[in-house]
This record gives sequence, structure tokens and C-alpha cells, in this order.
Amino acid sequence: MSTRDVVIAGERLTLHPERAVFWHAQGTLLVSDVHFGKGAVFRRAGIAVPSGDTEDDLQRLDALFDELAPRRLVILGDLVHGAATERSAWVDDVRAWRQRHAAVEMVLVAGNHDRHFDVASLGISVQPDRLAAPPFVLSHHPHPHKEGYVLAGHVHPGTVVRDGWRKHRLPAFVFDRDVGMLPAFGTLTGLHEITALPGRQVFAATPAGVIPTR
Amino acid sequence: MPTTSTSSAAWRRAEARLVAWFAEQGRRPAPFQRAAWKHWANGSHGLVHAPTGTGKTLAAAGGPLIDGVLNPGTGMRLLWITPLRSLATDTTQHLTAAVQAMGLDWRVLRRTGDSGSAERARLRRGACELLVTTPESLALLLSYPDARERFARLRGVVVDEWHELVGNKRGTLLQLGLTRLRRWMPEARIWGLSATLGNLDEALHALAGGGVLVGARAQKKTIIDTALPEGGERFPWAGHLGLTQLPRVLRAVMEARSSLVFANTRSQAELWHEALAAVWPEAPETLALHHGSIDPKLRFATEEGLRVGALRCVVATSSLDLGVDFASVERVIQVGSPKSVARLLQRAGRSGHQPGMPSRILCVPTHLLELAEVDAARRALAEGHLEPRHPMRGCLDVLAQHLMTMALGGGFTADEAYAEVTSSLAYAHLPRDRFDAVLAYLCTGGSALASYPEYHKLADVDGRYVVESSRIARMHRLSIGTITSDGSLQVRYMKGARLGSVEESFLSRLRPGDRFLFAGRHLELIRVRDMTAYVRPAPNRRGGVPRWMGGRMPLSGELSDELRSSLALPDPRSKEMQALGPLLGIQRTQSAVPSPDETLCERTRTREGDYLFVYPFAGRLAHEGLAAVIAWRLARMQPGDYGYAVNDYGLTITAARMPALDAETMRQLLHPAGLRRDIRASVNLSELAKRQFREIARVAGLVFNGYPAQAKTLRQLQASSGLLFDVLRRHDPAHPLLWQAEREVLDQQLDFTRLRACLLRIARSRLLWQEPKRLSPLAFPLWVERLRGGIATDDWKSRVERMVATLEGAA
Repeated sequence: MSTRDVVIAGERLTLHPERAVFWHAQGTLLVSDVHFGKGAVFRRAGIAVPSGDTEDDLQRLDALFDELAPRRLVILGDLVHGAATERSAWVDDVRAWRQRHAAVEMVLVAGNHDRHFDVASLGISVQPDRLAAPPFVLSHHPHPHKEGYVLAGHVHPGTVVRDGWRKHRLPAFVFDRDVGMLPAFGTLTGLHEITALPGRQVFAATPAGVIPTR
Repeated sequence: MPTTSTSSAAWRRAEARLVAWFAEQGRRPAPFQRAAWKHWANGSHGLVHAPTGTGKTLAAAGGPLIDGVLNPGTGMRLLWITPLRSLATDTTQHLTAAVQAMGLDWRVLRRTGDSGSAERARLRRGACELLVTTPESLALLLSYPDARERFARLRGVVVDEWHELVGNKRGTLLQLGLTRLRRWMPEARIWGLSATLGNLDEALHALAGGGVLVGARAQKKTIIDTALPEGGERFPWAGHLGLTQLPRVLRAVMEARSSLVFANTRSQAELWHEALAAVWPEAPETLALHHGSIDPKLRFATEEGLRVGALRCVVATSSLDLGVDFASVERVIQVGSPKSVARLLQRAGRSGHQPGMPSRILCVPTHLLELAEVDAARRALAEGHLEPRHPMRGCLDVLAQHLMTMALGGGFTADEAYAEVTSSLAYAHLPRDRFDAVLAYLCTGGSALASYPEYHKLADVDGRYVVESSRIARMHRLSIGTITSDGSLQVRYMKGARLGSVEESFLSRLRPGDRFLFAGRHLELIRVRDMTAYVRPAPNRRGGVPRWMGGRMPLSGELSDELRSSLALPDPRSKEMQALGPLLGIQRTQSAVPSPDETLCERTRTREGDYLFVYPFAGRLAHEGLAAVIAWRLARMQPGDYGYAVNDYGLTITAARMPALDAETMRQLLHPAGLRRDIRASVNLSELAKRQFREIARVAGLVFNGYPAQAKTLRQLQASSGLLFDVLRRHDPAHPLLWQAEREVLDQQLDFTRLRACLLRIARSRLLWQEPKRLSPLAFPLWVERLRGGIATDDWKSRVERMVATLEGAA
């Protein structure tokens, strides 16, 4: 799987095809819109989604930890999808996973979905609006901020890549002048197709690597 | 329930009352009407088939009305089911008049998706003897615990326009509902009204399990004219819009008092309406547009305009194929091939309502080869070759929905429910294990292989399946039906008036300020919010026209057979074939024109690439499946990336580099052996099943469109069916709804039955192999078609390498 390096606000960032960003200088792994427990919320509402989405996502995080050995994980909002009940097995899975990686600092910049669940109870510290990490401002909503280049989530950006007669709809990393957006990390998440704009850099995350698009 | 002897004095007195009412209007009952009344009195089920405007309604209504006179009483006696909400209003008026004429004190009520709350409340109190409703509203009624009580006095059901329902999932849902009613009230008669079909017996069987066919003797004559290119005029080799024919169409419209112009797709109707409006010599409000995505209110206004004769011309799609008769319509024009003989007949029947007058239709070909389709349609009509509409079998998504309805309407045991649904034709051959799989999906979420904790739609209480959660009950009732509008956005003015709905994929490409054409108006997008696109009028259009999914009908088998004969053995007296002569001459010089027992294959290299063309004349659906199979087989001969395109005459496959091909290799590529295996392999590689899954997921209650006016609070529950499809494929490959998706792709999207028949025919035919230097007239329309899909044997790794290489090469 090939990664791709970009330089944003003077810092080298590695875009990973598993829909994550690694910031080398700080040893920080960034992911966004994980939506743990989304399948469970659906099932409770009478929509049959098989279980396994949260387990898959935890395994993907494990693989990223093995590969990149981050000191810190920052989640750019929407770590969980909705409220949990005592029957929700995913909560125990996430808590066990957190304990396995006790040495890694984990911070959530709270997103709109996170108000349904007490994330701090999982052993992950919570920042209400944004986290200053110069030269970046880490936030859930992609609004420009005077204190730095904003890295954000929320949008679930996606793009359509043409390949001969085919079109592939893929999650994307998007970098504008003042704001960068990460693709949603969660397995059970949809895409919002973003439009091409002058000065906008878009990278598509394919199963085999990150590719630039025009 | 006693039947009444039709020789009894009481029955004859009641019939006389009905005949007197006919006489008051200067009419006499037709023999088929009287026959239907008698059959009703004898307690038979039946199907009345006759062209529109011959009195089918009274043929079916007479029996129950006479019965009502003989057996007075209150409570719901007759259920009248109509596929169209707009038709319900008219039918209600018509039936009310008949009820009054018979001196019955029946209350006639209408209940459809857009009934007011007063009507609904009256119905809830059980206050009617005759109910006019839709298949969906019937399913909804069946989902209330008091359903059985409510229908306890029912003596019969009449299904109007059954031919419109018999071949689709709405018909399946209705079959299940009727089966339910018949199980409760075995004596209730089930009657249907239908236009002429190629398989009336089967249609009757699906409706009622058997009964009598009652037909009108007098067949209407239909005359087909063609708008021919005039001397020296160049007529396009390809295309489907046909706007070069505008002057001829305008002239035809102006000659008549009132016309209907039928187009085959909604986009085509929009563009034709726009083109006609630009040259319209009369008051603009005398020209209107009618298609299924336009808001019902606007559509009703158009229908009303036609009825009172205020409109000179309406451009329409199949949305006006059925429904109310418009006596004022003098002229019917068909733009593009009608693709089926039955459809042509039905559209032609929209004109010439005066008894004894022939129906007349003007066909407007959009390109040269469509001339041959008109000729073929006339031949098929002369020989009475009409298309059948086969009922769908064993749809698991509709079954899932109906089982929820049964659980809410009193609950069921598995054995009872299995016996009940398999007594309908739609599920007659449903294996028990498949039924159990659907039940398991409703109880636990999926197949036994995967785990779905927290999920339970149905609960098993002492062997009876019921719904325990009121939330799930509410969600189910809101989702009843099989018509999906998944992914469509409302279009409305800022001031509030609704215009209709457009697919999300079209609007997602527009930005505020962009202009587009919709509902016959030039519009500017202001913003999109809460699944609604707000627009304002714009002076002109720079942008596009929305496209709707699933637009184009394939050429029917009956028409394809005639088309092959028309091309190979043209009738020298046919004006269409005379006009087509020069083109066929070019085809013959450059390549060949296949006779009915030959199959033509061509290979042509152009600057854009290497193309293989095959012409089985089996309709675009079968061609799509065949193209996937050939591409798959080619990819096994030589790995690579094969794209394909199809039309109703043939298919083309293109690749950067084709393997060596000749007649013998083609024979192997087209061989029927291993077809099922190869199509499965190739379909798995494509996105077809995923597209089909949209509708299935909605019908089976796997995705939920939300409560009206509550879209926001439920955003947590929005998931695209595509995402669910991927998740199920990975975690629960044995899921019954995935099985259903694959089957629908085979049966409907790829028309597997026809595909197999076509390959068997090719195997028996002589194969003509040609390598024309330039694109032949048959090849050209395929060459300009958009590529529909393809087969690639590469993996993501090589794709990424190739895409990156392309980008770097371009930089």
C-alpha cells in the first residue's frame, strides 16, 4: 500500500490509504469520523446491519499503530455514532483496545455525534471545540481559524476518479488554502462528493494507495 | 355467502334498473358487460379485457351493484383498487353516479396516499360500503390489528388497470394482499380490468387463481403513420432526441384540436416541451408537460386541462399511458420507437374515442434505423403479436414487507403464513428454506452466518410472530409500498410551490446560481437544504436537463423478431423501408445485412480504439448481459480492460488491444455453454447488483427514508443502500436480500431468459464475420453510445500505477 507525502503549512504529512494522516514531527496520527457503534444504532432502530464494523475499525487502527508507532492519536470528531446501551458490545471492545494501547496518548476533538456518549469514560481525553497544535488547529468542523491551518473532518469528503471506462467513487483528502479535510475513517460511513476548485488539492484513498487527482 | 341465480326475478329486476340507467344516457349494455354481471352473480372470479373507453368499469361494477340491491346491508362491501391516485378521483365520481342510479344508500369513499385527514377518519370509523384505493393503501389497511373485522362484509374486489400492475412488484404486493382477503373471505370475488395482453390467462391466474375471461368483441382498428424525412433531407444515423423532426411535429399538432406527444424518457419529454415552446405560435398556457417526476398537483392541473379541452398539446411520458380518458384528444404522436407493440397500441388508443373511429398514431423516428422499427411494429400488429407481461416470482423483498404487515395485522405462525403466501402465484414455488431465511432476516437481521445483536423487527411470542415496538410499527407503515424514490430531492420555489423531484446525483453537480430545465421551466438553483432544492425562475437555460435512472425500455422480443425480418426482407411497398433503402445499401456494401438465420459480427479499428460489434437484435437488456459475458470471455483469452456499450440492435466491446478474432473464435465467444457461470462471474465484477439493491433495501425495510418533516432528527439513521450492500457482501454473503439482488439483475436487468434464447439462436445461425474499414451504419449508433460498463482483470495495485502514470504523463 503506497502512502503519499504532502507538505502543508511547512510540515510533512503522510497520507495513508487507510484514511489516516501521520504527522511525523509530532509522532501524531490523525483520523476523523470513526463512528464507532454505528451498526448498533442502526440495528436498534430496526435496520439490519451486521455487526463487525467497530471490530474492523479497531483492527485497522491496530495495524496503523504497528506500522507508524505514533506517540499520540488525535480523533477529529465523531468518534462514536450515537448513544449506547448496556447490550452494546462495541463499548467493551473499544475500552479493551484503549487499554491495550495505554502508552499512546489519545485525544478526541468533540464532534456533533460525540454528545450522545461519554467518550472520557473510555479513557480518551476530550477537547470541546479545537486543539491548538501549531502550526495546525485541529478541529471537527472545517472552518478557517486565525491561529493556524485547520485540519478537520465532519464532511466525509469523497471524489470520483476516472479510469478508462470506469469511475471509482473514493474517499479523499482535501487541502484548501486555510483548511484541510480528512476522509471519514469508519468502515460504515458514506461519502460526500466534493467539487474541484482552483487551488484545491485532492488525494483519493484507493485500497492500494493514495493517488493525486486533478 | 350465497350466490344469486341470474334467472331469479329479483336479479332480473335489479339488472333492469341498471339497464334503465344506461338507457337514460342513450346507451345499451354491451354483451361483454352483461356477461360479466352474470359471472359475478354466479360467484366467479374474472378478468375483463377490452380497449380503453369501451366500458370496462361498468362491466365490473354492474355485478356488485346488482348484488348490493339484492343483499342490502352496511359495512365495506366492495373494494375498488386502482394503480393511479389521479384515477381514483375520477373512478370515485363515476362509481358514485352508478351507486345512486341503482338507488343504493352506499357511501363511496376514496383512500389514497393523498387523502385528507377527514376522509381517513371517516374510513377509520368504518363508514363506507365502497372503497376506492391503491395497492399501497390496501397494504396499509391490512397492517392494522382490526383489518380482518373491517373487511368481514366484503363481497368482492375489482382491480382496475391490472395490466399495469401484473408485471411489477406493486402487482406482487397486491397479489399478497388479495390472498390475505381471500383467506379471510373465501367467497369474495376478485375481478380485474385489463388492456389486451399477450398472456391474459396468466394475468387472470395471478389475480384470482383462475376464473373467466370476458372480452369485448369489437376490436378497434389502429392506423400507424410515420413522419418521413423529406426528399434530399439528411436524416441522422444515430441519436434519440429527434429534434430535427420539430417542424413536422409542430405541423401535425397544429392540424388537430388537441394532441398528445409521447416521448420515451422524462429528459426527452422535457427537451421536446422546451423545443415546442420555443416555436409555439399560440398562447403559452395551451402547451403543457406531464411526466412522473412532476409534482402531482401540476400533473392534475394538466390532466384537468386536457379533460376540459383547454390544452392544445401535452408532451408526456408513460405517465399518461394509462388513466383517465381524454375525449378531446384528436391526435397522438410518438417520438422515437415505442419499443413494444402493446405500448404503441395503448398510446394510439388515447385518440379516436368516438365509437367506430380508428385509433391513429404518428410515429416520429429519431434516427434512420427507427424507420425499420415502425415498419416492424406495423407488421407485428397486423399479425396480433402482442407482448406478454409476466408476473414476478418469489420476490423476497416484497415478502419481507408483507410479513411485517401480517405481523402487525394480527400476527401469524410460520406454517400459516407459508401456506398463505404460497397459495398466490407470485410465491407458488417458493421453497420453505427461502421463506424461513426471510423470516430469519426479520427476526435476527440476516442469515444464520452473521451476527446482528440488538436487532429485532419481529418478535416470536409463543410461536406467533408479532411486532412489539411501536416505533418499528410506525416505521413500517410509513415505508409500505414498492415504489422507491430513493435519492431524489424535492424541487420547489422559495415561495413554496412544489414542482416535483429530481435525482440527487443530478443536483449534486449543480452549484447555487446554476440553471437547468425541469417541469417545463427554466430554473435557477438557490440552495439545497433538507432534501429540498429551492429554485427561482430563470430567463433561460445554460445548464442541463435532469436524467432519471431506469429511463429506457428495451425493444420487446415480439418487435425484435419482426425487426430482423423487416431488415432482411424489406417489404417494397413499405414507405419506411423505401426511405431506409440507401442506408441498407451502404451497410451491404461495407459489411453485410444479416438474414433472420444469420448473425453479423464486425470488427473495426478507429482512431479511438479497437471495436468488436455483434448484432443479435435481442434488446438492450439481454445485450448488456451478453456484452459482460463476451468481455469476460475475452479477458480470459487475453487479460486486459474491456469496456462495452449496447443498444437494442447489438453491442460493442472496445479495448486498447483486442485478441485475434475470426468467425470461429466468435462462435466460441458466443457459445451458450457455461453461460450461467460466466454471467455470474462477470456480474459479480460489475456494479449491477449494487444498483438493484437500492430498491430491494427500501422495499424490505432495510433502509428507511425517514418520517415526513422529521428528516433532521433521523440523520443518524441515514445510510446509503450502496454502503449496506458492501457491508452485507463482506459480513453476510448468504443474506436473502443479496440473493434477491443477484436474481433481479439476471432476470430483469440482463433479461437472462431472452439472453439464453438468443445465444441458442446464434449457435444455430450462420455467423457472418466482417472487418469493415469504416464504421458501418449499424455500428455507428453503438459507437456513439456511452460505455455502460466493462470487465477488467487488473487489481487495485495496477490500476493505481496506471492512473498515476496517466497523471504524470499529462503533467
